[in-house]
Amino acid sequence: MNSNIWLLTFADAISIATTLILASLGAILTERSGVINLGVEGMLLMGAVTGFLVADSSGSLWLALFVAVLVGVVLSSVHAALTVGLRANQIVSGLAMVIFATGLSQFIGKPIEGDPLPVLIRPIDFGALSDIPFFGPVVFGHDVFTYLTWVLVAAASFYMHRTRPGLLLRATGDAPATVDAQGGSVARIRWAHTVVGGALMTFAGAWYMFARSAAWNQSATTNGIGWIALALVVFASWRPLRAIGGAVLFGFSLQVPFTLQAEQIRVLPPTIVAMFPYLITLAVLVVLSTPRARRLLGAPKMLGQPFVRDER
Amino acid sequence: MIILGRRVRMEQRLSTPRSLLFLVPVFSVFFALVVGGVFLAATGHSPIGTYLDLIDNAYTSFYGITDTLGLATPLICTGLAAAFAFRMNLYSIGQEGQMYLGMIGGAWAGIAIADSFPQLIAVPMVLIVGALAGAAWIALPALLRARLGTSEIVSTLLLNYVALNLLNYLIFGSTGFFRDPTTSFPQGRLVADSARLSPISFFTDKVTNTYPTFFIAVVLAVVLFWLMRVSNYGYETAVYADSPNTARYAGMNSAWLQSSVLLISGALAGVGGAMYVVGPAGKVDPGLLQVGLGYAGIVVAALARYNFIAVIVAAVLFAGLRTGGNALQISNDPVPIAIAVVLQGAVLLFALGGELFRRNKITITRVRAASA
Repeated sequence: MNSNIWLLTFADAISIATTLILASLGAILTERSGVINLGVEGMLLMGAVTGFLVADSSGSLWLALFVAVLVGVVLSSVHAALTVGLRANQIVSGLAMVIFATGLSQFIGKPIEGDPLPVLIRPIDFGALSDIPFFGPVVFGHDVFTYLTWVLVAAASFYMHRTRPGLLLRATGDAPATVDAQGGSVARIRWAHTVVGGALMTFAGAWYMFARSAAWNQSATTNGIGWIALALVVFASWRPLRAIGGAVLFGFSLQVPFTLQAEQIRVLPPTIVAMFPYLITLAVLVVLSTPRARRLLGAPKMLGQPFVRDER
Repeated sequence: MIILGRRVRMEQRLSTPRSLLFLVPVFSVFFALVVGGVFLAATGHSPIGTYLDLIDNAYTSFYGITDTLGLATPLICTGLAAAFAFRMNLYSIGQEGQMYLGMIGGAWAGIAIADSFPQLIAVPMVLIVGALAGAAWIALPALLRARLGTSEIVSTLLLNYVALNLLNYLIFGSTGFFRDPTTSFPQGRLVADSARLSPISFFTDKVTNTYPTFFIAVVLAVVLFWLMRVSNYGYETAVYADSPNTARYAGMNSAWLQSSVLLISGALAGVGGAMYVVGPAGKVDPGLLQVGLGYAGIVVAALARYNFIAVIVAAVLFAGLRTGGNALQISNDPVPIAIAVVLQGAVLLFALGGELFRRNKITITRVRAASA
């Protein structure tokens, strides 16, 4: 065992983190408006499988990513229609979305199961820069979308905390009645952010497919990453910038089992090691639930509550 | 709200017409079949033909019906588990993992202690240990929810993945207590004969996949329905579900209510797993379990609107989708079994939309062009 392995694991963790960051950024935007979308896991799967199918038949990565985003828009519109429009229970709607999307992705993905990827997202070639010790693989070893994701997080943070629409967004999650009284449309803001959030989630799934997977393999493709992204939202206390650190931590815990297997290090049986990402996520949730931590967190106050003007 | 030149008004209903209680689920299933049909047609299968085959395979033949009832057995349990928690606004989605643990716990009892007892004691023992194991698996999320207010949604879900890996560890990753010692093939060790029930033959000489555990599940649902109606505990949970503040004012212990409801929910899912041990599996068998009955239980509960008796009906209906789907997969025009899951999700989405009509009276009036 040498330190190089762990350096590469860390670089891989940063790469996996891209999916987690994109998905949890989508969830943060959605939840900040007061809507919970528990469907993340299903959205990732649908993004991955539709991306694969489109790339398979067209050979175009860009078209694949575009269609994946469209699928996210459609699926999250259904969620928004049910929860914002019809005021249905957000939790049950999100779960229904997971079940529906899981089934649908397996159904339409059946013919391509196990096929090689038609296109790949490859890291950018930085030439000699990648050979710099430590910084090389960690900073200069990624694909264009990973860097764009970092920019996107900064932009989302700026949007949420420094612009007027961002202020309205946060207000909609905390005090929708106030937004309504000021003449803002709570329904429109919630729709818009649920849909944009959903698009980010399916894009995250498509990216994961082309950048990190070997083949489409039913629900094993994402293997619970969507749920970890939801826990990450709490970890990030609904702030985009803080999601990056958490995503790298969770990404590391997801990558370690693979590293151990590849290096044939058997400290523990692989099935036991495979539990760790979920146990670590759970442990983080527990720590964040202590009264002391909760004071510092600040979840949107009206999260999960439908807004009904007459009942104000 | 004005849509296409017509004013749509929603008024909250004070009481729901009885017809809607029946119509909403029926229409949900109908529209879900339409959505599923679109995807079937898009992938080159005949929707009508597929559905007729599905119904034919699941609900008409002797083996179809007995297969469906057999699959419905654990599904009733996970449905009850979800309904029990969801009606208290506790969204535990860990039934899948609790069911795995129920199987592991039940198998432990069946191997370790059932040997020296007659069937009349051994079988209930396996079921009870399974229930305890299921409850134990939800104990941490329950404690966190009651003490710290940690959302049970993500914590119960994360434990599903841990349970899945635990199950795989016991059978594929190690050669311990639960592994069959007589072969190197990775499979579970059989429980004692006294801990197993034989399938019901329904007065024929055929071997079916329905076990007496089906009736245990039905009795469980009826008893639960009755108990929650007449007991003080049922009343307290109903009050708490409606208004936690009222419950606290009335001196009810919210931590106790929350944690006990979650523990009972876990126990119900655990019984479902243990029923595999006394029934079809007779051992820890990862292959049998991984058909998503835990998640399907949530759909069953929501479709039944958290009514324990209705859970039985919904579970039999959904189990039929699955057995019918299994038969489709091996027909000469194979349709992926995942269509059953697509239908489940779609039913739930439509049932949710239907809630609007149940809760609100919708009137649509034409508005004049000038005002629109």
